[in-house]
Amino acid sequence: MATTESKGLMIFFYCFIAIFSIICLIPFVLAVSGSLSTEARIAAEGYSFLPRGFSLETYQFLFGSKAEQIIRAYSVSLLVTALGTVSAVLVTTAYAYVVSVKGFRFKNVLAFFAYFTMLFSGGTLPWYLLSTKYYHLNDTLIGLFVPYLLNVFLMFLMTNYFRSIPHEIMESAEMDGAGHMRIFFSMMIPLGRVGLVTISLFYALQFWNDFYLPLMLVSNQELYTIQYMMYNMMANIQFLASGNAAQVSGAIIAPPLETAKMAMTCLTVLPIAILYPFLQRFFVRGIVVGSVKG
Amino acid sequence: MKKNRVWLSLFLTFAFLLSACSSGNNGSANTNAGSKEGSAGENAGMAPAKLTIVLYGDETNRMKELAKTEFYDVIKQEINAEVEFQFLPWSEYAGGKTDLMLSTGEDFATYTDINYMVKSVAKGVYADLTPYLDAAPDLRANVDEASFTAFQLGGKQYAIPVGNKPNSAEFYSVLVRQDLLEEVGMTSVSSLAELEEFYDKVHALHPELIGYASTDARRMLLYDYTDKNLYWQNEFIALDESAEDDQIISWFESEDFKKYAELMRGWYQKGIIPKYAATNTPQLQSDWNSGKAIFWAGTAARPFEGAATITQAVPGAKLANYFLGTGRPKISRGTYSTAFFVSSAAKDPERYVMFFNLLQKNQELYDLFAYGIEGTDFTLDENGRLTKINNDALIPDWLLMNKNFMRFDNSVPEDFIAEYKAWDDGAIISKGAGFNFDNTPVKNEETKLNGVFTEYLAPIGSGFVDYDEVYPRALEKLKAAGLDKYIAEYQKQYSEWYAKQN
Repeated sequence: MATTESKGLMIFFYCFIAIFSIICLIPFVLAVSGSLSTEARIAAEGYSFLPRGFSLETYQFLFGSKAEQIIRAYSVSLLVTALGTVSAVLVTTAYAYVVSVKGFRFKNVLAFFAYFTMLFSGGTLPWYLLSTKYYHLNDTLIGLFVPYLLNVFLMFLMTNYFRSIPHEIMESAEMDGAGHMRIFFSMMIPLGRVGLVTISLFYALQFWNDFYLPLMLVSNQELYTIQYMMYNMMANIQFLASGNAAQVSGAIIAPPLETAKMAMTCLTVLPIAILYPFLQRFFVRGIVVGSVKG
Repeated sequence: MKKNRVWLSLFLTFAFLLSACSSGNNGSANTNAGSKEGSAGENAGMAPAKLTIVLYGDETNRMKELAKTEFYDVIKQEINAEVEFQFLPWSEYAGGKTDLMLSTGEDFATYTDINYMVKSVAKGVYADLTPYLDAAPDLRANVDEASFTAFQLGGKQYAIPVGNKPNSAEFYSVLVRQDLLEEVGMTSVSSLAELEEFYDKVHALHPELIGYASTDARRMLLYDYTDKNLYWQNEFIALDESAEDDQIISWFESEDFKKYAELMRGWYQKGIIPKYAATNTPQLQSDWNSGKAIFWAGTAARPFEGAATITQAVPGAKLANYFLGTGRPKISRGTYSTAFFVSSAAKDPERYVMFFNLLQKNQELYDLFAYGIEGTDFTLDENGRLTKINNDALIPDWLLMNKNFMRFDNSVPEDFIAEYKAWDDGAIISKGAGFNFDNTPVKNEETKLNGVFTEYLAPIGSGFVDYDEVYPRALEKLKAAGLDKYIAEYQKQYSEWYAKQN
């Protein structure tokens, strides 16, 4: 009896999840099909699930006129994601280790400093001043990831992983003469691997999807990331379509074609869409491990 | 031992960070030095200066190229300044990063509208350009004097207008798809009844097309709901240009608004304004651009400015302007396109003004900044008609647009150009032109009123909801938000200003 009931439930859940995932997929399918359609038919008939008048023209157009820019933006995005993730994980785990280590006098103070920024922030203006006037992060590559090197939430997540590692392991290592450096690199990092992968994924996603830092700190087109290119395009369309454009009188600028918008969307989503299925298990495992042991 | 390692690793981290910082700086310093040597020494007399001009929108490849080559050389030669063009997304216009740059004291100039100017001058972040007006003699000759007064506050010039083009009666005409008009056997539109007849006929033939591609028609419908010649100062306040007095009209409290809202309700129910307009306003313009709408609000330039986009989707599309009534003079706010301000932190405001001067100095420079290099980016035929070889936008030409210099392409018929140039004939300058409301005494009220406007009045005005049903509540909200105080303050300031003018 119990098995049939749970079977029924299972079927229900599967159906529910299937429907839900189809709903999530629809916009994406529309975007892909839109990017593969011809502009004239999209303009005349609207979007559909199958490309209207299948053509690769849009991609040819995009890569023809903006190939250099897109490729550069892609490489900047990749570079920022790689550099950013590596340095952010390093900084975050190091901070987390210090906060989690037993017997360190100031660990609570450090933890509080980090926690405090979760509750109160200085606001955009001081942040901008600090970044541009004092740290001179504007128009530099490192400006695209340094401000995000420490995500406090992920730091505490990592602290929890470290705390879940039995303290005795560290004690024995210490007795064998290992210093904090050795314990951190040779023991904590390998043992906290699952947590490490989880926060790396979070960071990688954050760096890949970010357009705020380039918006604030970059004016040199050579440092545009792919997301910022996309944001730029969308922001311009939105503004021109809204009533505000009337204030800048007569600002008529031909908006990019519908199909071009869709093609850009596909280009920015593509790498994540390809990688995600392979990495997703780490996400799930990472979060579950933390919850059970923490 | 342990300690040494910790110190070593700290040292390494710092070294890494420092090297990253300094390598970035070195890189930019080198390129600057390199380009400086390339063209220095052409212009004696003036000390070299560095200017940053912020523009909004997309930077095209050609613009990037020219900014480093021809533009750079010409500007260097003319005013001995190195200009760097910085592009920001439109979302940062009059706010966002522009605000940040102003408040953190960066040295730059960009364009502004009057509202943003008033706000920013109150914060003290715009430089007073009055002393430098003489640095722009050519610009002053080519830009209307009234445009300058529009950007003055308390007798001081806070922004330098650019552009000089017929722009009276903006959005007071109906921009009609002439090809559709002819298709249904009509030749012109001269009243609301004819416009609706036109819609009905086209709708019967092409049910997939939407009617009006906007949510605001208070200007074009003027002839049908009022005898006044209304001109709006902002969403809440209008002036009657046919009366010679200093009375302001509280638009939402007027009988005219009621009649207008009822007209719009009719349009909405009839489907002239599509149902999706209430939730997806940006789609309207998209539809217009892709030739899926029957009419739009017109301006002098729209028949040829907008045609290029539409003809991509509908090759035979033609556009024409019609007024739904006669006998009321066209109202102009001034002929400028926009105006440049200089941040108060700028080291050399005068040089910025000299740069603005170049934008409207003569045909040669105008051609260069708006269209590029002859032969490479565009060609001219014997009539001076323009054919673009390269479609990349440079310094946006809507911004520079000056009737003394602007060029038309081959597809624009002669009579269009004649009509365009004569558009402003008989137009009057609004009696409110040059008046700038200081909103500091009613700042809170204004914020609240804007909220009520978006939530209640805009939907009523666009006909999405019924006037009789929603208006009483909307009025209550307006009053609660302080409409009376706001109107009184506006009236007070306007009367004072008006008295000074006459």
